[in-house]
Amino acid sequence: MLMDTSDMICDTYPGEMIGREYMENLYGEDMDRVLHSVVKLKNAVIGNNKQKFHMMSLGVVGRLLEFIQNERAAVGLRTESAIVLGSLAKGSQANVKRLVDSGVVPILLQCLNNSNLKFVEGCLRCLRSIFTSQAAPVELLYTDPGVVPHMLDIVSQSPTTQECICSILAQCCKTSEHQGLLYSNGVIESLAPLLASKMYKVQMPALRVFCVITYTNQIVSSAVASATVSERPLPDLLVELCLRDKSVEMQMSSAKCLTYMCRANALSSQDSKIVYKALPTLIRMCKKDRRLEERVEGAETLAYLIEVDLELQRIASYSDHLIPTLSEFLRYPSTQTTVMDLKRLDYDMKHSYELRAAALMAFASLGANDEDIRKKIIETENLMDHVVCGLSDPVIRVRLAAVRCLHSLSRSVQQLRTSFQDHAVWKPLMKLLQNADDDMLTVASSTLCNLLLEFSPSKEPMLESGAVDLLCDLTKRDDPALRLNGIWALMNMAFQVETKNMAFQAEQKVKSQILVALGTDQLFKLLSDPDVNVLMKTLGLLRNLLSNKPHIDHIMGMHGQQIMQAIVLILEGEHTIEVKEQTLCILANISDGTTAKDFIMANDDVLKKITNYMIHANVRLQIAATFCISNLVWNEEEGALERQMKLRDMGVQKLLQQLLSSSDTVLFDKVKTALQQFT
Amino acid sequence: MSFTEKHEEITKQEWMDRLNSLHISRADMNRLIMNYLVTEGFKEAAEKFRVEAGIPMNMDTESLDERIKIRDAIQKGEIEEAMALVNNLHPELLDDNRYLYFHLQQQHLIELIRKKDVEGALQYAQTHLAERGEENADVLNELEKTLALLAFENPEDSPFGELLHPSQRQKVASELNSAILEVENRESTPKLANMLKLLLWAQHELDQKKVKYPHMTDLAKGDIEDPK
Repeated sequence: MLMDTSDMICDTYPGEMIGREYMENLYGEDMDRVLHSVVKLKNAVIGNNKQKFHMMSLGVVGRLLEFIQNERAAVGLRTESAIVLGSLAKGSQANVKRLVDSGVVPILLQCLNNSNLKFVEGCLRCLRSIFTSQAAPVELLYTDPGVVPHMLDIVSQSPTTQECICSILAQCCKTSEHQGLLYSNGVIESLAPLLASKMYKVQMPALRVFCVITYTNQIVSSAVASATVSERPLPDLLVELCLRDKSVEMQMSSAKCLTYMCRANALSSQDSKIVYKALPTLIRMCKKDRRLEERVEGAETLAYLIEVDLELQRIASYSDHLIPTLSEFLRYPSTQTTVMDLKRLDYDMKHSYELRAAALMAFASLGANDEDIRKKIIETENLMDHVVCGLSDPVIRVRLAAVRCLHSLSRSVQQLRTSFQDHAVWKPLMKLLQNADDDMLTVASSTLCNLLLEFSPSKEPMLESGAVDLLCDLTKRDDPALRLNGIWALMNMAFQVETKNMAFQAEQKVKSQILVALGTDQLFKLLSDPDVNVLMKTLGLLRNLLSNKPHIDHIMGMHGQQIMQAIVLILEGEHTIEVKEQTLCILANISDGTTAKDFIMANDDVLKKITNYMIHANVRLQIAATFCISNLVWNEEEGALERQMKLRDMGVQKLLQQLLSSSDTVLFDKVKTALQQFT
Repeated sequence: MSFTEKHEEITKQEWMDRLNSLHISRADMNRLIMNYLVTEGFKEAAEKFRVEAGIPMNMDTESLDERIKIRDAIQKGEIEEAMALVNNLHPELLDDNRYLYFHLQQQHLIELIRKKDVEGALQYAQTHLAERGEENADVLNELEKTLALLAFENPEDSPFGELLHPSQRQKVASELNSAILEVENRESTPKLANMLKLLLWAQHELDQKKVKYPHMTDLAKGDIEDPK
C-alpha cells in the first residue's frame, strides 16, 4: 500500500548521519560487507518514507542499479538491491516518480531474463509497485518487444511471478495495440489457469487482465469466450466469480468482463450468463449499501451493457427496483444518507457528481428504445427536474450525460407533447449548444431535432434564444452528422401541421427567419451536399417552407429563380429515387401557389422533365409528377385555361389518359382527378 | 399489550446432560490442537504431539522455522532482530502494513524504556515514530501513552504500566504472526480461536433473545455456571 505522505526536505533530519554512513559502506571492496550494508539499508528504509526519500537524495538508486546490472556480481547482492528498490517504490508518489526518472524500469525489465527466481521476483515486485502507481510509465513496458512475451513465459513460475505479472499487465494494457500484442503472445492461455488459483491475490489481478483485454475487442473476446480452464469453459468460471460469496471487487470485475464480451459480440445478450448473472450483479452494485465508487462503476457498466439491446433494457427496467435506486443517485446526498465517517463523507461529497453522471447515463440507456420504459422513467418523482438540472450542472461530464438522457427520452412522441412542455428544457439545452465541443454538439442538436418535431407552441422562445442562427451554423460544419442535425432541426422547425388549430402552424415569421438566417447561398450549397441524408433533409426543409399558398408565393417571389435552378440541377443529377421524389414534391408544392405556378409554366425544360417522370418506371415518381400536373391544371385557379392549353399541346392530357390503365390505385386517383380538371 | 414468549427454563444439570450426550471425536480434537500449535509456532511441541498422537502435521510448515525465530526474538525483546528477520522473509510486509510496523516500533521503544535508556528512547521516537503519527491519527494516541511512560520513575506502576507487561510482547508477536500467515495465504488464526468465537457468538445471540441458560463464563477453564 503506498502512502501519500509529503516528502519533507529536512535539513536537520536525525537520520542524516546514518544515511551517509550507509552510502559510504556501499563502496567498499569487501563484497560481503557491501552485502551486509545493503541489508542494513533495506531494514532502514522499509516502512520509513522519510528514510526512503533521504537515501534517494544521497544517490543510492544509482549505486544499487550498478549492482543489479552487474552480471558478475553475486546474485544475493543483486537480489537484495532489487528488494531495496522495491521498498523505495512503496514510498510516496513523488518517490516513485523519482525512481522512474532514474531509469530504473528498463534495467529491471532486462533483468527478468535472469535465471535466478528470487532475483527475478525481487525485480518483479519493484516493477509491480511502480506500474500500479499513478506515475506508471506504461509505454516503457513495450519499448523492448521481447519483454511482454518473456513475462508471459515466466508467469507461472511462482505465486509472486503470477501476482506481479498479472498486476503489471492489467495496468499497462491501454490500447487496442496492447491488446493485440498480449493476445498474439498467448495471454489467454497463460493466464486463464490463474483465474482458478486458490490465492486471491493472484486471481484478482488475473481477472483484471481479462477485463482490459476484452474491452471493445471482438477477436480477443471471442477467443476468451471459447477458452477453457481444466476443460471448463472460461465464461462459466467468470460466472462463478460473480457469486455473492466473492469480494465486491471480484464480482464487479467478472460482471464487467462478461459485459465487455457481450458488447464485443462474443456472448449473446440473451445468454443466461448475461441475463441471469452479469446484469443482476451490476444492478446489485448500484444498491445503497455499496460504496460510492462501487455504485458509480456498477451504473456505468450497466449503462454500457444495455445500451444497444432492447431486451436487456426491458429486463433491467423491472429488475430489483433499479429505477428508484438510480433516482437516489440524483438525490445524493439526501436525508436518507447515513454518515459513516467524516473522511468517507468528505470523499463522497467531492465525488457526488460521478453518481449523477452515472445515473443519467444509465437512464439514457434504459430509455433508448422502449416507450413504456421512458414513461416509467419520466413518471418517477422529480426525475425530470433532476435531468433538467443536470443540463446546467457545473461538471461537464454530468451535462453530457444529462443531454444523452434527454435525447433518449425525447424519442417519445407522447412525452414530447406532454412532459417536455412542463419542463423548461429549452434554456439549458440552448445554453449547452453554445460553446459545445463536438461530442456535446452532436447529442444536443439531435435532441433539439426531436424536441422541435412536436413542440410547436414554444417556438417563440426558441427563436428568441438564437436557435435558428445556431442551427444554421451547424449546417456549415465539416462533420456531416452535425450538418444533418442542423438542417433536420430547421426542417422540423418549419414543419406546418395542416390543422385548424392555429397554434400548430409554423408562423410565416419562423419560416422567413430561417430563410434569412440560412441564406439562399447556404441553402443551395446544401442542396448539393455530398451526404445524401443532408440533401434529403434540405429538400425537406424547402418543402416545409413551401407548404401553404401565401408562403409559397412569397418565397418564390423572392427566390424563385434560384429555387428552380436548384431543382433542375437535382433532377438532372445522379440521385436516388427518394431524392428525386422529394424534389418533385417540392415542384408540386410550388405548383400549388398562385403566382408561383408561373415559375413552372414559364420553364419548358422543367415541364418536359415533369412529363418524362409521368411515365417513369418508378410509380412514386409518377405519382409526384402527376400531382404536380394536377395542381397546374386545377380549374378553380385563375389562368387555368391557358395552362391547360399549353399542357395539352405538350401532350400531357394524352399521357394522363394512358396512365388510366395503371394498376396503382393512388396513381389512378391522381390521374383521374387531373383529367377531370380539363375542360 | 405485548405478547411475550415463554422461554424454556433449563437447569444446569439438564444442560450438562445435553452437552455430554454430544460426541466430539478425539481425532478432531487432536487436529485442532495440531493446527493451533503449528499456527502459533510451537514447533517442538507440534513435533512431539505428532509422535504422541500419531497424526500428521498436515499444515504447510514452510515458514514455521522462520516464524518461530521471529516470535522468539520478540519474546526476548529483540525487536530490531525480529524486524530484520521478517524483512528477509517477506520484504513487502512491513511496507504494506504500516500500522503493524508501528506496533513493532512501539515495542522497541518500550524495550528501550524498560532498560531505562531515556536518551535512546527519545532519539528513537524522534527519528522513527514521528512519521507514523503523521500517517495515521490513531497511532498518535498510542504513541502518547508510550512516551508518557518516560515521565514516571517507576513506569510499571504508572497508568500505562500494562505496556511493559510481557503480555504486550505476546500481543505484538501474535499480530506479526497473523500478518505473515495472511501474506502466505494461510489462515492467520488457529481454528480453535474460531470455535471459541463461535461459542461466544452463540451465547450472545441467546442473550439477545433473553433466553436463560447456563453460561460458560470462563473460557480458559471451561466452567459452566448455573443459569441466573
